[in-house]
Order: sequence, then C-alpha cells, then structure tokens
Amino acid sequence: MTWPRPHLQLGLPPRPDALDKASGREKYACDFYPPGLLWAGVKRAGVPHARLRGLNLAAARALPGVTAVLAAADVPGVNRQGVVQKDQPVLVDDKVRYSGDALALVVASDQATLARALALIETDLEPLAPVLDPEEALLPGAPLVHPERPQGNLLLEGRVTTGQGAAALEGCAVVVEASFDLPRQEHAYLETENGWAQMGQDGRLTMVASTQTPFRDRLEVAEVLGLEPGRLRMVAPYCGGAFGGKDGVTVQSLLGLAALHAGGRPVKMWLSREESILASSKRHPARLRYRLGSDDQGRLQALEARIIYDTGPYDHLGGAVLTLGLEHAAGPYRIPHVDLHGQAVYTNNPIGGAFRGFGVPQVAAAMEQTMDLLATRLGLDPLELRRQNALKRGDVNPVGVTLAGSTGLAQCLEAVAGHRQWKEAPAWRAAAPAGQRRGVGLAAVLHGMGYGPVIPDVANAKVELTGEGVFRVYCGVVDMGQGNAGTFLQLAGLVLGQEAEGLELVLPDTDRTLPSGSSSASRTTYTFANALLPAAQALKERLLARAADALFATPAEMALVPGAVRHRPSGRTLPLAQLAKMLSPEERTATHRYRAPVVPERPSADPALQLHGLPHGVFSYAVHLARVEVDELTGLARVTGYLVAADCGQVLNPQVWEQQMQGGVAQGLGYALMEELPAPAGQPQHTDLATYLIPTALDLPPIECLAVPSWEESGPLGLKGCGEIGIDGPLPAVGNALAQALGRHLPQAPFTPERVLMALQEDGKGAGS
Amino acid sequence: MRPVLLPASLEELWPLMRDHPGAAFMAGGSDLLVRLRQGLVDPPAIIGLEGIAELGLVHDEAPGWLFLGAGASHTALLEHSLVQRRLPLLAQALAVLGSPLVRNQGTLGGNLGTASPAGDTLSPLYALEAQVELRSATGSRRLAIADFILGPGRTALQAGEIIYGAWVPLAQDWSLAHFEKVGLRQALAIAVVSLAALISLDDGGVVREARLALGSVGPTVVRPRQAEQALLGRPLDAASLKAAARLVRQEVSPIDDPRASAHYRRQVAGNLLLRLARPAD
Ligand SMILES: Cc1cc2nc3c(=O)[nH]c(=O)nc-3n(C[C@H](O)[C@H](O)[C@H](O)COP(=O)(O)OP(=O)(O)OC[C@H]3O[C@@H](n4cnc5c(N)ncnc54)[C@H](O)[C@@H]3O)c2cc1C
Repeated sequence: MTWPRPHLQLGLPPRPDALDKASGREKYACDFYPPGLLWAGVKRAGVPHARLRGLNLAAARALPGVTAVLAAADVPGVNRQGVVQKDQPVLVDDKVRYSGDALALVVASDQATLARALALIETDLEPLAPVLDPEEALLPGAPLVHPERPQGNLLLEGRVTTGQGAAALEGCAVVVEASFDLPRQEHAYLETENGWAQMGQDGRLTMVASTQTPFRDRLEVAEVLGLEPGRLRMVAPYCGGAFGGKDGVTVQSLLGLAALHAGGRPVKMWLSREESILASSKRHPARLRYRLGSDDQGRLQALEARIIYDTGPYDHLGGAVLTLGLEHAAGPYRIPHVDLHGQAVYTNNPIGGAFRGFGVPQVAAAMEQTMDLLATRLGLDPLELRRQNALKRGDVNPVGVTLAGSTGLAQCLEAVAGHRQWKEAPAWRAAAPAGQRRGVGLAAVLHGMGYGPVIPDVANAKVELTGEGVFRVYCGVVDMGQGNAGTFLQLAGLVLGQEAEGLELVLPDTDRTLPSGSSSASRTTYTFANALLPAAQALKERLLARAADALFATPAEMALVPGAVRHRPSGRTLPLAQLAKMLSPEERTATHRYRAPVVPERPSADPALQLHGLPHGVFSYAVHLARVEVDELTGLARVTGYLVAADCGQVLNPQVWEQQMQGGVAQGLGYALMEELPAPAGQPQHTDLATYLIPTALDLPPIECLAVPSWEESGPLGLKGCGEIGIDGPLPAVGNALAQALGRHLPQAPFTPERVLMALQEDGKGAGS
Repeated sequence: MRPVLLPASLEELWPLMRDHPGAAFMAGGSDLLVRLRQGLVDPPAIIGLEGIAELGLVHDEAPGWLFLGAGASHTALLEHSLVQRRLPLLAQALAVLGSPLVRNQGTLGGNLGTASPAGDTLSPLYALEAQVELRSATGSRRLAIADFILGPGRTALQAGEIIYGAWVPLAQDWSLAHFEKVGLRQALAIAVVSLAALISLDDGGVVREARLALGSVGPTVVRPRQAEQALLGRPLDAASLKAAARLVRQEVSPIDDPRASAHYRRQVAGNLLLRLARPAD
C-alpha cells in the first residue's frame, strides 16, 4: 500500500504527522518489540517514609526466567538523579521518601515472570513518621525528608518585593483578601512512561524512550551508570503525551541499569497506569493567601502573596516551578508595590514536578479570583478592572521587568469585550431556568517563555542536503504531540522552496541531531525555529552559490525550486541530486546555534532564583471566558461556553495553534472541575483512570479560540509560545463564573458537585433544603 | 493456561458448565475483564456467552410482558423499538450508561450479574418491578429483581444456572417516567446517586401510584417505600416532593467513598425528587 505524502503548506491543515499517527504507522517508544526482548520492572516502596533495613532478593533471583535482580549497590555511578538538585535515588539506598520510590530492579524473560519475581522480593522497612502537610513540614520538629539538608524541609524559598512592598496596602482605599487551596493534578498522558535499551557489542548503550529531554537524559543516565556520555545514544520518538511529566528521567536510569545486566539483549520497561500514577510527578498542590489593594478608582496599588507548593520528596523541577509561580504571581497588571513570597516544601507525598503551566495555573487561580473579589468590592465590571490595569508594551511588570517586546493583553481584552459571549452574558444569565444558576467569569493571564537568565536557552539546528538530493531536517527537540516537528519541516520547506517529497525529518537522537534543550516552557518552537531558519537560509545560500558556479552564473540568477536549482534567465535546472554529488558532506550541511535573549533586570539578588529562571522577557497573554451553569439540586457545575483570546505572537499554523489552546483549556477545565489526586497517608487515593477523572468530550463545551496576534520581534517569523497559556486561565475563569452564580467564592478547587452543593446549602439557598 | 470456551447454543453450554465448575461467564467482559486485570477473580475457565444467539432476544410475545435477553447489548436495547416505545425509563438509563463503546460491549445480563448498586439498568428494573429469569440444564425459574440481587456483587444465581433475561411487566401506562444519574462527569462515570421514578397521576394531577428506586445509596438499589407512600394522594408539587425527599434521605444508607461522601449522596438522593415537580394545571 502506498501512502500519500502529506503536503507541507505552512498554515494549512492537516499536520504533517496526522496521517501516520491516525493510521497507526507512526511508532511511539512503546511500539518497539525487538527480538529477544527482556522485561524490566521495579519493586516500589508502597509506604511514604521508612528506613530501608534490608532486601531479601534470593527468592526472586532463584526464579527461572529471571536474568537479574538489582539493588542500590548495583548502581555503578552516582545513585542520585535530578535536573537541578540531585536528590532522588535511582534505587533506594538508605531511606524511602515516598510511596513510589524504587527499591529493586528485576530483569526477566517475560512480563509474567517479572511480576512473579517482583512479588517474591521481601523488603525490610522500618516505618518513619511521614510529613504530609507542607505547612507542618516547616514547623520545628517536623520529620525531615532529607535530614542532611541544612534548610530542613524547605527546598527553595523566594521573595520579590518592589516599591514599598506589603506596607503599601495600608494606604489603599480598598483591600481584599482571600485564600486558595489547589489540588494535585495528574498528567494522564495516553502513553505511560516507557522505553527500551540495549548494550551493543561496541560497548555503547542505545536507548529509545518516551521523553521530553533526550540530551539532558543522556547526561543524567551516564552519570548514574558511570559511563562517558558519548557511550550513550538516546533516541526520542514522538511522545504519546507528556505535559511536563517526561521533563526529566522517568524509566531511563533504571532501563540503562537493566541493559547493563541483560547480556546484550534488548530490555523494555513500561509502567502500567497504576504504577505511573503511583510513581510519576504531578502538578504541585498549592496553598495561597492573597491581599490585593487598589485606590477607589480600581487602580491596583499593592499586592501581598504567600504561596506554598508541596513539592513532595524530590526537587524534580520544584524549585523552578516555585520561581515561575513567583514571577507570575501578580498577574499581567501594573502594580507598583508587591511583596511576593513563595516556598517549595519537601513532604512524603507524591512528587511535585513539571506540568504544563509550571506553577502558573496555581498563582493565576489566586490572582484572578482575587481580582474579581476586588471588582465586586469596588462595584466595577471585572473586564473594566482588568482593562484599567492591563500591562502594555513599555510598562514595568510587577517584578520590575520592562516589557520591551510584544504585549497584547489589551488587545485580548478588547477582543473579549467585543465578543458575543461577553456582550450577551447578562441576558444569558438572566435567562437561567428555574433550579439553575448561571455565571460568566473571566481570567487574564500571562506566560513567560524559556529558561530565564542563567541556564542557556539554546537550540542547535542542522539541515542537510542528502546525497539523494533530499533535504533532511535534524530536529533536536522532542515533539510530544504538540506538532512542532511538522512545523519545523514546513519552515525548512518554506526557506528551501521544497514540497513534502523533497524533505525528511530526523526526530531527536543524540547521535544524529544536535542538542536543543527540552520540549517545554513554551519555548520549543520559539527557540528551535530561531535556530532552524538561519540554518536553512545558510544552506540555501551555499547551494545557490555552488549551483551558480557550476552553471557559470551568479547566485542572484538562481532559485531553489522543488527538487532542483533553476537558472532563472535560461530556465536550465540542476537537479538537487546532481548538485549533491558535487558537494562534500560538510558543504551539504548547515548548522546554526541560537540562544534566546535574556533581560538585564534582576528582580532578586538571590542567585538561586536567577538560576531557577527569574526573570523572563517574552510573554504570551490571554483572556479566558467561561460560561457556567450550576444545577441547584446536585451542585453540578457545567461549563457550557468557553472563549479564549490569546496573543502568542504570529500564528504559523492556525490548526496547531488552536489544538494547543483547546488542549490547554480542556486540561485546565479538568483542573477546575474534577481533577484531584489526594494522597491521604502519602498514598495516592486514585490508582487508575476509573476514579481519577479527566474530562470527556461531553464534559467540554465548544471552545472558541481567537488569535490576537502581535508581532514578537525576537520570535521566528514573529511567533511566541502557545503551549501553556491555555491552561493558566480555566480554573479562575470557572471560579469567577461560579462565584457569580453562587454569590461567593469557593476557596477549594476543583469545584466538584459536592463542594458546590455545600456552598449552596450553607447559603440556605439550595433548592432541596 | 486458562481455557476460554465459546458455546454456540444453550445445548452446547450446559455440558461445558458441568465440565468446568467455577468457570466465569463472560458476556461483554466489560466488568469481568476489569476484575481479572485487578486480580479480584481468578476463575479456572471462562465461558463466553456471546455466541449464543438466543440470549440476545427481545420480544413481547407473552401478553403483558416485555422480555429482554441477558445477552442483549446496551446499544441493542437502546436502539430497539420496543424498548424505546414501552420502556422509556430504561431507555433513559441506557443512554447514559458508560459511553458508546461500553454500551456496545456491555450487556443487560452482565449488569445484572455484576449486581453493583450503581448498575444503571438496575434502578429502572426495580422501579418497573421486573423479574429475572434464570435457566439451567434442567429448568427455569423467575425471581423478582429485588430477590435476585442480594447485595453488592451478590445474586441468587446458583451453580449450574445462567441469567437468561429480564421480564418487564407492561401492565401500566405511567404519566411520568424519569431517570437521572448523578455522576462526576458526563460519560464514563459511575453513578454517585441515581433515581428511577415512575409516577401515575389521575386526571386531577394527583399521584395514584409512585415508584422510586435509587442507586448508589445502599448495598443494593433502594425503594424508599415511605417516600413513595407519602406522595400518594398529593399533587406532584414542590411541597409534597420536599416532604418525600426528607423521607428518602432517611431511607437510604449511603457510604463515603472516593467519589462522594455519604452526606452528599443522602442530600442529593432527596434533592433529585424535586426534578419530578410538575407545574399545577
Ligand atoms: C469504562 C467502563 C465504564 C462503565 N460504565 C458503566 C456505567 O456507566 N453504568 C453501569 O451500570 N455500568 C458501567 N460499567 C460496567 C459494565 O459495563 C456493565 O455492568 C455491563 O452491563 C456489564 O456487561 P458485560 O456484558 O460486559 O458483563 P461481563 O463483564 O461479561 O460480566 C459481568 C458479570 O456478570 C456475569 N454474567 C454476565 N452474563 C451472565 C449471564 N448471562 N448469566 C450469568 N452471569 C452472567 C459475569 O460472569 C460477570 O460476573 C462500565 C464498565 C467500564 C469498563
């Protein structure tokens, strides 16, 4: 069967990856079953805090079909991993710090034997009192997750003050105050953590894994295995979803260790859904206390924010999450005096880590609901309050950074103000049938792009004209489903004048592509395309020059056309396959390194905050609107209409852009309405997706997405990131709509039927009372 | 290895059941396979029922009764004209059971066999006062559904028997047939509370008969007899429904679980009655 090649017109659907994915032809990491495969798996602790006294591995080792049973002592390199702080053991050596900790690794001939062997492992664990509440964790005498740390359970603390700080609240005509409690959220990607690895006869380890970060993984795994990084090859196919949950090592170190003990056979490791929920990182639960003051006209004057993130047992990216949260805590407004204080705290709960939004959905939830409280207090229209205070280009943002680049919030607000869903809101609310309440809520949000001032936000692109005359685009950054790889192909085609037939893509592979950072932080397309466009341009110029030489012409007379270079005056063409033969491999290849600009302001002198990403210079903006209907009998809140107007700079592919907005909003509505993973006694309460609920198609309204494109000078073709701005707004927009419907704010999310009904009844207004 | 047997008729089934005691029946498998994966059951053999065409029958050949075969899928029932015309209450429940895929796969017999207090077809069948027919190699017996279901996951099915189908009496024309399921999302959600209600009103709008059946608020579906009684002779207005709702809250015995608290279930079990309110003529 032959497959049609997708066309590659920038801006037009379908996405270049759509057909292969929809037809099942695309291979994800989990789709590989090389011959002779062994299976690896781990014994998890199952208790949140304990001293590991011993492991009895004899019975597991004796089981026929078991290749290896390994424990901490078998880790040849450094038995600690982590992106910033190396505080997480690959296999527990001294102490269990959460239920998902790995104690022992088994390699077996098949999955059934693996399961039996894991069950035969006897653990000797001395229970320790767990610390499960992040505020209690900071009290003197609390059990310590990492007793060796001088800062106790405090992973990172940050403070940013400007103007007179919180003292300025005294002078405000109006001050509102509120507290918020936000849940732990599970990523729930379709493809759970997995990979396969094999030690080659040449002493090199090849690993194919579902990851957002192949280049960083290589360094981490090499350190764990005590190998030179050059002896590791990491390959990252398309991911079946990641959302931050694969930003960092999941199975990779274990898999590498298994491969060292597999006698050269390939080894596969693939977490079940239950194991994934138990062991993987989550969105940080957060508690926030906000005090916001304005003058009597609604001009914001001062904000005090107190933020606590429960980061669980390991840093993962908790420090960076805290820092981004701190930077965004005051929202997209001009506020001359702020005092922002945040803490990321170790507990024995599930790991808090990277999750789309990266600390921002929590602070946006607090800030935007506090804004509505202020609007209510002032008797101001919530949109008007936001309009008055919206950041514009040239303003200094709340942490003191001058917004020199594109800043389209005001335009987003105008787009919403003029939209049917906003204009008709009063009439729609008034038309609520008996037994139903209606509300329409807004949220204005911003999202910074990239790694901040210290960690180089770099991409290295490589484009090659192959010996066969096809352009090969070496994509150094993962496509976890968002479609960036296809966009890279389109961009290369645009510069090089080629159609689909003339282009191929190489997905991230540490042997073939060049390091380009993580697929994360709304930076993937922004950073990589900024490297790719100049690389393609350089190659183009070189090819035109060499073709001109061959035809005794000048480069200006030449044009790249599909499959050839044409001498325009004469119409003679030189096929690319022929041109390629005239060039050395070096000449046929162009590379370009790009580092994203950093801003010169330093809102905090604390080097830790700078390292963790404070501040950013380029932001996307959005205004979210949610229509919510509440049933008085059941407390069920349904979002029946949704609008998001977003400034993500120029939109290259409207379909891909809309998918990012819709996906972010859908995940954000799950966060607002139903997603919550409590961990009583440190044990995730839900073990699978039968009780951890994410929205289905029926739970989601039509989501209208309006692009409000600005031109971002630093962006490739004017674009900014659009991966996260969609998830920052749904919770506060729904919260504000509900507050309008119920007459009061709900402090605790998600807004489940039970919480809503209790709020209705406490008011004595529930229909059933 | 666990044998999987696929009889094509009841005649083929009986000897297989004799030869494989303790075998689990599998109709759509949408409950059984989940329990197998969770390690909650470990039967020595599985007998697939999907090849037995007779189990999928739906007919009204016996006067006054509608027969629903145990092997009929939820989708088949939902699309059946007899169900649509004569059993709107059941049709409403089927329409919100699981998702299209689960409805294609799951069967009435499986919903009965699982005997979950949250089974969506059960509260309608209680309200309709359906009977369950059990068959064995040697005969057949019919039990009222309330006698068939003994507790969560427990039924009166005995070794050697299968669920053959459900018989629903068609005696009455109801003025009102209402089913509502409260779940934590709009599809693929197990009921946190469900209400099946059949109301017969006289010409003056006064309740002549009321049958209420509530799911997920006790070990089995609950018929709140006092609340039903309290509605008799009264109009279906907010005042009488609120009074009945208070009784419902006393008659149910919900538990706390990760989906909802007992308190919420109790409140909502009562509240749902208010959905029945009809404007006075
Ligand atoms: C994702 C998902 C969502 C679901 N959502 C819902 C929902 O919203 N509402 C709901 O009520 N249920 C729901 N279920 C449960 C399930 O789909 C239903 O209970 C369904 O009716 C079971 O039918 P089945 O044919 O698949 O049963 P099976 O799994 O085949 O069987 C279930 C049990 O009944 C026994 N059994 C089946 N047929 C017979 C027979 N003829 N005689 C004797 N014993 C028999 C089996 O041995 C087994 O013990 C859901 C299940 C899943 C997986």
